Amino acid sequence: MICVVDIDRTQVGPPAVCLIGTWRTTLCAACMRFMLLFSRQGKLRLQKWYTATAERDKKKMVRELMQVVLARKPKMCSFLEWRDLKIVYKRYASLYFCCAVEEQDNELITLEVIHRFVELLDKYFGSVCELDIIFNFEKAYFILDEFLMGGEIQDTSKKSVLKAIEQADLLQEEDESPRSVLEEMGLA
Amino acid sequence: MSDVVERTLTALPSLLSSDPSPGRPSSTSKLGTLIRGITELTSKHDEEKLIQRELVSIKEQVSSPNTTMRQMKELMVRAVYCEMLGYEASFSYIHAIKLAQQGTALDKRVGYLAVSLFLNESHELLLLLVNTVLKDLQSTNLIEVCMALTVVGQVFPKDMIPAILPMVEEKLNHPKEIIRRKAVLALYKFYLIAPNQVQHIHSKFRKALCDKDPGVMSASLHIYLEMVTEKPESYKDLVVSFVTILKQVVGGKLPIDFNYHSVPAPWLQIQLLRILSLLGKNDRSTSEMMYEVLDESLRRAEMNHNITYAILFECVKTIYTIHPKAELLEKAAKCIGNFVLSPKINLKYLGLKALTYVVQQDADLALQHQMTIIECLDHSDLIIKRETLELLFRITNGQNVKVIVEKLLEFLRHSKDDYVTIDLGGKVTELAEKYPSEMISSSLWCMNE
Repeated sequence: MICVVDIDRTQVGPPAVCLIGTWRTTLCAACMRFMLLFSRQGKLRLQKWYTATAERDKKKMVRELMQVVLARKPKMCSFLEWRDLKIVYKRYASLYFCCAVEEQDNELITLEVIHRFVELLDKYFGSVCELDIIFNFEKAYFILDEFLMGGEIQDTSKKSVLKAIEQADLLQEEDESPRSVLEEMGLA
Repeated sequence: MSDVVERTLTALPSLLSSDPSPGRPSSTSKLGTLIRGITELTSKHDEEKLIQRELVSIKEQVSSPNTTMRQMKELMVRAVYCEMLGYEASFSYIHAIKLAQQGTALDKRVGYLAVSLFLNESHELLLLLVNTVLKDLQSTNLIEVCMALTVVGQVFPKDMIPAILPMVEEKLNHPKEIIRRKAVLALYKFYLIAPNQVQHIHSKFRKALCDKDPGVMSASLHIYLEMVTEKPESYKDLVVSFVTILKQVVGGKLPIDFNYHSVPAPWLQIQLLRILSLLGKNDRSTSEMMYEVLDESLRRAEMNHNITYAILFECVKTIYTIHPKAELLEKAAKCIGNFVLSPKINLKYLGLKALTYVVQQDADLALQHQMTIIECLDHSDLIIKRETLELLFRITNGQNVKVIVEKLLEFLRHSKDDYVTIDLGGKVTELAEKYPSEMISSSLWCMNE
């Protein structure tokens, strides 16, 4: 259901509408609210919000949610309920990937979205580790935005996400020392 | 010309000498130093001091006229980092916009990224970005066009949509699939925030649906799912198309590149299943057009990977939503059974969820699995318990209401979550109203918690 809600009204439960803070929010039928990456020590490594949320609310939610997820034991379900959302999370080595989705969503899909993201990161960085993401988090964001536009996963050919990133990366290399290569190709 | 540049860029990786990991800045960069500095600290107070110092330094540098765009890019990354840790750096917002405006290539890309992370749709500064986006949309450099479309698909002021709409529409005909795809996604975003603005271009969505590139077609499904959710009657004529596409996907007709763990375009399949379920609901003739492909989907999805389970779940949901067909229902029921009985906890959860969904139509199914359901009631994982209670709530009748309410109350007593309390409390009240005679016992009214 698409609903445009007035500022300052909060509703819980179907139709899937929720207001956080004082921003107006429009939600689509099935979308992700936000994704967080954090370490086992509770250090945030990446946060992407797909709905307008006030800063102070973001901080509060992140803090709370990290505590909840970090308290989970290994054999437990990858899904949990938190506020009016479903949280889907998975730990890869020392990093927790955590997504918040609407109640009605198919949580298993989200689990696979996370996995796809990890696979892309792995391919891009070559055996990715937490350090790669920490020191290159803006690259992680680029990849995320490429395959998860506005919270919706894009089913694309494997190549196209990474190709798009790599091409843009190459622009920088081009700036730095490309002249000889381009000249070789007769383009400069 | 841009085509040549494109080809060059594609060829460059093989020309450049071994660089297995593209663009890995050293951890001795300023960002690296900052991060390591933070990691070494132990107290929150120290972290605050360090970040505040950092922010002062960043603020000084961004305001300096001598700062190059390259340096600005680096500063913005650090500002994003500080904000991510929860410290306010709003002085940098305007510089992010300037970076997107004045920077080139990677600098611009970081500028756009910073803007999408710092600002939201209603932020007034976003208006300043509009001209930059308009300019980049017309760039001969396709990568800049992509960047512009990406940011439009994420944050764009609603009121400025008319200014940019024609240009985005134009991109729908671009020879490059990535541009067409991003244009579709931008229009999807517009549809979500201002549906009236895109009323007139529904025919273009149809064209996107028939695009030869599966990625573009897949992107158009987001819009269709929205539109079909709102008004299924208007899209019944597309059922044949959706069914045909699903058939082709399931039959492996897409390029192998679209496979995810040997499953062809799984997310695309799921979108189609959702659309079909909305179209077939309460409509016998439409449903009849889908039975074959649903049967095929069930057959093809072998139970061996999470993503096939996800597809099966959607398939099952669809089968139970549309006009019923006995053979399909039987297969779907079997599927649910496999989920519920699975030792894998995530699948068990999904099985319970599916049971909850179908129980109104097929109460017998729940009965069949009642032993498992009872086991799940005492499961150590709260979410399983909760889902079981949800299921029980739906199969309450005069005989079992007392037991079920007791279980609900027990869960309530231990629940610390406000939302859960409200939800379950509501359910208990509902049951009390429905079966007043069975609930007279005063102990059941200890609901003041």
